[in-house]
Order: sequence, then structure tokens, then C-alpha cells
Amino acid sequence: MKREHQEAAGGGDRRGGEGNWYVAAEQEKGKALMGTDDGVDELLAALGYKVRSSDMADVAQKLEQLEMAMGSSAAANDDALLAHLAFDTVHYNPSDLSNWVDNILSELNAPPPLPQPPPPPPPDDPLSLQFDLPPAVTEQYTIGTVDLPDGSPCKPADVDELQPEASTASSGWLISQSGHQPEVAMSLRDRKRLKVCSSPPSSTITADAATAAAAQQVVIVDSQEAGIRLVHALMACAEAVQKENLKAAGAIVKQISVLAASQGGAMRKVAGYFAEALARRIYRPQPPRGMGCSSTVESAALDDMLHHHFYESCPYLKFAHFTANQAILEAFAGFRRVHVVDFGMRQGLQWPALLQALALRQGGPPSFRLTGIGPPQPDNSDALQEVGWKLAQLAKTIRVDFRYRGFVAASLADLDPYMLLGPEADGGGVEDDEPEVVAVNSILELHRLLARPGALEKVLGTIRAVRPVIVTVVEQEANHNGRAFLDRFTEALHYYSTMFDSLEGGASPPAAVEVGGHDQAMAEIYLGRQIYNVVACEGAERTERHETLPQWRARMSRAGFDSVPIGSNAFKQASMLLALFSGGEGYRVEENDGCLTLGWHTRPLIATSAWRAAGDPLSTSASCRTASS
Amino acid sequence: MMMLLLPHREEEEEGGAAGRRRFPINDNADLLAEVLGRLDGRSLAVAGCVCRLWSAVGRREAVWEAVCHRHVAVGRAGAAGGTRSVVAALGGYRRLYRLCIGPALDRLAGVRRQGPAVSSSSSAARHVSLSLALSLFSIDCYERLGGVGGRQQQPPASLLFLCKPVDVS
Repeated sequence: MKREHQEAAGGGDRRGGEGNWYVAAEQEKGKALMGTDDGVDELLAALGYKVRSSDMADVAQKLEQLEMAMGSSAAANDDALLAHLAFDTVHYNPSDLSNWVDNILSELNAPPPLPQPPPPPPPDDPLSLQFDLPPAVTEQYTIGTVDLPDGSPCKPADVDELQPEASTASSGWLISQSGHQPEVAMSLRDRKRLKVCSSPPSSTITADAATAAAAQQVVIVDSQEAGIRLVHALMACAEAVQKENLKAAGAIVKQISVLAASQGGAMRKVAGYFAEALARRIYRPQPPRGMGCSSTVESAALDDMLHHHFYESCPYLKFAHFTANQAILEAFAGFRRVHVVDFGMRQGLQWPALLQALALRQGGPPSFRLTGIGPPQPDNSDALQEVGWKLAQLAKTIRVDFRYRGFVAASLADLDPYMLLGPEADGGGVEDDEPEVVAVNSILELHRLLARPGALEKVLGTIRAVRPVIVTVVEQEANHNGRAFLDRFTEALHYYSTMFDSLEGGASPPAAVEVGGHDQAMAEIYLGRQIYNVVACEGAERTERHETLPQWRARMSRAGFDSVPIGSNAFKQASMLLALFSGGEGYRVEENDGCLTLGWHTRPLIATSAWRAAGDPLSTSASCRTASS
Repeated sequence: MMMLLLPHREEEEEGGAAGRRRFPINDNADLLAEVLGRLDGRSLAVAGCVCRLWSAVGRREAVWEAVCHRHVAVGRAGAAGGTRSVVAALGGYRRLYRLCIGPALDRLAGVRRQGPAVSSSSSAARHVSLSLALSLFSIDCYERLGGVGGRQQQPPASLLFLCKPVDVS
């Protein structure tokens, strides 16, 4: 056990000197307690200090207190105090540790209440307070009034009364505060985590000093405890919102921000997004257009940009592309004219890989046609055509016959089958003998249709009318479309927590140079917009209506589609891809009854499935061919 | 790293030793290419720093093709000729190795170093397949294509996830 020295602002040397014997005192005390002698402790005596063994625990406590008081940021900033201690105080007989400490403490108690302290030292610090004692001391001290405990060492019984918690250690929080009732409570880290319950007269605050002034009645928690409380607070707020108890919800939302500040990393960010979304929902039931609530034209370009960063910073979209491509490739085996309809063209990042794979396939590349569908763009720029042009360039270099068509549609439900099939399908008797097979690809697009009743059925009908040999569907694996707000909220909380965890865990590290440096941040914003939509929007504006794989299976079957199992090639390729991602150990590719899912640890987050129209002779024969090859 | 006799040493020993025939490697570029093709990527790059001839030979596509094939699991024996032309169109084997295969191998090696305790499913995937490498390569190549009208585009970043972490300590 080591003691960390807090270098106070003033009186450094003296502090350093004191620090030394702090260390010695701590260490020796621990050992000494084991082999106690009557009277003076031997080990300390060797150092020149006279402390009774029976007083040891008491002295230890006081030293603790002293260090806390002197080392707390407030005291550190108060040069006058330290100077006073250092120079003006008269110390008698410092070798008598017990009395000396008492003196110092009484000196400390004299000065006026300490000013508002800045946030407490990082969680590492409490480690310095760990003693190798039998169950630690946890008592409350008052600086304002000299209220020192009688030197009775704490017994195990005391500890039990304080409700020890059995979870594994995380550091306790050192809290110091001053206000109307200046009191300091310390919680020491121990084998067992102790939760100190605040008794009525005392108040202690949480880490966020900024809100300390406001909240007088909070409890000390350690960071893990704070995490649990945070989740509870979020749930409570959601429940209040569901019950339309907006006042209570508003109060809780404030608390959430406080608690969220005490967390780090993924949890903090997730809580932040959820808190903001809740706040919007509470205070502005009819939110104006913004932040992903409705896919306005302005946000389309922003969406694309965020989507691109999300693509780069984590493997979910790459997984989607690779598995869908593999399914399409296998379905296209043997056909000389192929047509792919992409419901969400964006930057077209899925297609170079498919073009390359088609170029290299047995028997040579087919004649490839691509129809891309995208939302209207704000500045009349034809992003779709640009993407098509780039793909055409690529196809030309690798010598694949390529044709492209772009469609602008605000919603997929606006499409009609004849648009997708296009003039080429029925034109030219020359090409009649070569059937053109169609694949439909939808990456994270279908769930938006659930916002308007009947839209999904219409689109699925359109797809059927095109008679595709394969339909690849990739969707988020979560149920964010439940009837009850609370259910949706809970689901979303778990889902996005896992997502953010995976972003943290698998983050392409500092390598992510200037360009990629903010990839993760952008990806988080991308997810944040989804969170906002799930929590704060309702009705037609809530477009992020994710559903689980079984739910999609049911919908597709109802619409007349049969499942096409995704082969092991796709599984292998996906696994290899995941192995390349740093943090690849956390990602898990699983096969789920013919569909592939990618998840973080035990939680699947995205699922790829493949379908064909049931009872369609063309697609049936195609899949038979695939099966036999 | 292979030990190769340097040409000038060869000539010195020629006079002294009893008449064994020696073949200075630099006299035969194809032989050199064969030899270099058996190196791994890093060694090959280092070998390219030896002299101008080695640098030129070390840049040959055939050499890098051999290196690539040696280090990736080739799936079904695809039409080799077809692969060659596609890879050439996308930028060549040397570039393929530099951008995709090399970093991927480094990443896998790093993972292997870190944890012996890997799940069995992922241990099966601890190699790079040519098709995967080509897919990533094609995406990168696509990103580098200019847009219509020279619109400002973002630098290609799809392969950043393979980059080694830069130690900025």
C-alpha cells in the first residue's frame, strides 16, 4: 500500500517532509497493529515517534483527516492556512504523534469554512487511503466543530452496520464540501465497498461541485454506484414521461446530468444523449424540425457525412456490405446480366467490392446494372449521379460492363416497379434470351417505412413485382418500436450503451490521424441522432423504428418472401474482417438460422438476412443452382 | 532475411578459390526476382534499398505478386490471369500489399501477440484471404477516384482501421 503525496500549493518542502513520515506511519502502523506490544509501538519508536499501540488506529484516523483537510484542493489553495500551520503554530513535542495531530487538527478547525472546492481528486486518490487494517474506518468528521472520535478502533461490527456491499472494488469518492454545514465525510476504500449513508444533519455532495450549491441532499457514491444510480435515474425519468408526469421527469433529468458527469467514457456519452433527448421530450412536446427528427432536405447531406464516418470507425456497416455482397454474388452465379437495386445509395461504398468480385468470378464478369435510390439533395447537386460516375470509372478500369441509373425519392414508398425495371428490361429482342436477374439491397432503410402505416407493405409489394432473385436486408437488431415509451426507452438504452461501448473498445486508436481522428466522435453524433429520434420524436417523425430479426422475419414471410440462408463463405469473410479491427476480440459474428448477426460480446447489434420471393420460378431455380454449385 | 553474397565479394573470391563456378546474383535479374519473391513484405522493401538493380527488380509486379500469394490464403483457385489484370487495374500488387495485406498481417500478428486466449471462432479467422484483401483494396481505389468537376473530396479513409496505432508518447 502506497500513499500518494498530494503536493499542496504552498509549503511544499514541509509537506514533502511530512509526507515521508506519513508513509512510514501508515506502513508501520499496519504491521504494528498485528504484533502489538504494551505501551509504545516499537517500530515507530525506532523512527522517533512515541505512539501507543492502543492509540494507533485513532492516530491513523486523525492523520487521515489531517491529510484530507490539508490536501483537499481548498486547503491547498489556501496558502494562508498552510503558512499558518507551518510557521505560526507552535508545536509541542511532535514525537508524541497523538497529541501533535490533535493540535494540528484543532488549528485547522479554527479557520473559517473552506471555500467551495473544485471537483475532487481523481478516483485514484482514495487508493492512497487504503489501510491494511481490518475493516476500515468510516466515520464522519466535522471541521467546523471539533468532533473527533474517541480513539476506539473500528470493529467489524461497525462495518456491518454500514451495509457493506460485496461488489468488487472501485474507488470510493473523496468528497469535501463546505456550505452551510461544513462537514467532511470520508469513505475509505476497503475490501468491501462501504456505502456511507448520510445521516440527516450532515450533507455530502457528489462530485459535481457546480451543482453542489443547489443540491444539499445527495449521497456519496463511488463511481460504480453512480453508474447504477444513473441507470435508475434514466429509467425513472422515462417512467415519469410515460405517465405524463412531466414535472417529476424534469426534476430527474437534472439529476441525470449530474450523475452522468461522474461517469467516464461510453456511459457518460450515452447518458448525455439520452438525457438531452428526454429533456427535449419533456420541455418541447412538439419539437421543431431538427436533429434528426425528420429527414429534412438539409439534414440529408449531414446524414451522409455522418454515415460515412460511422462506416469508417466501426465494422457494422462494413459487415453489412460484405455479407450482403456475398449473398448477392452467390445468387448471381451463372447469370450473364445482373441488376442491383440499392435502396440507400449514399456514397456507394458497398459496390466496388462487388464489382471486383464479379470481375474475378469464374466465367468472367457479367453485364452489371445498378439502380441507386437516394433522398433529395439540398443544393440540387446530383450526388447520385456523381456516385454513379465514380463507380462507372472503377468498373471501366476492371473491365466490367456497367450501367447506372439514379433515382431521387423522398421515401421508398414513392417507388413503382416500372421505375426499377426501367426501359432496358423490356427493350431489345436481342437481350431477351439473356434474362436479367435482379437483386434488391436494403441497408438500414426498411425500418423507416414503419413510421407510416402501409408504406412497408407497399414497398415489399414493389420488390415482389420486380421479381428479384435475392433481397438482402440489413437492419439493427433491437426493438425500438414497441408501443410503450418505457419499453422503447429501456431497449434503446441497452442497445446504444452496447454500441457506444463497442466504439470505445474497438476504436481505431490514435492512429486515426487528422482525418479519422474525429471518426469516432462523428460516429457518436450519428448514433446520438438516432437516440434522439427514438426518444424524443413521435408519429411520422419517429423514423428510427428498429425491429428485431424475428419481427422482420415475420414481416417478410407475411409479405410472401422465403428466407435464403446466407452461406458459410459470408460467415468466414465476416469473421476475417472482424479479426482485422482493433478490439476485434469484442466483436462476435453469429449465425442465426440462416442470418448473420454482428454484435459486441453477447449482444447482437446488426443482422443481415436474405430473401427471395416465395414460389417464384425464376428465383427458385436460381437458388437451386446456387445450392448445387 | 536471406543471406546473399554481395557481388563484389564474389569477384574477389573468384581469383583466390579453386575453380568452383559462381553466379553473381546481379548478373541474372530473373533469378534475383525469384529469390526476392520468397521474402516477406518488409524484407523485400528493405532489399530494395541495397542497390539500384535490386530496387528495380524489387519493384516488379511479379515479385510482389509472389509475395502476396505467399502470405494470403487464396480461396478457390480463381483465374490467375484474371486476378492479375484486375489487380493491375486497381493499382498493382505492390500497392495491394502496402495498403491492405501488409497492415492486415501486422494487425493479426499484433493480436496474436497480445492474447493467447482467443475464442476458437476467431482463431479460425486469423488469416487474410485474397478476396477480402481485394475487396478492401477496391474500396480504397474507389475512394481515390476523383469526383465529377473536381469537387473537393475527403481523403480516402476506408483503410484507416488497419493502421497501426501511432505512438505519440
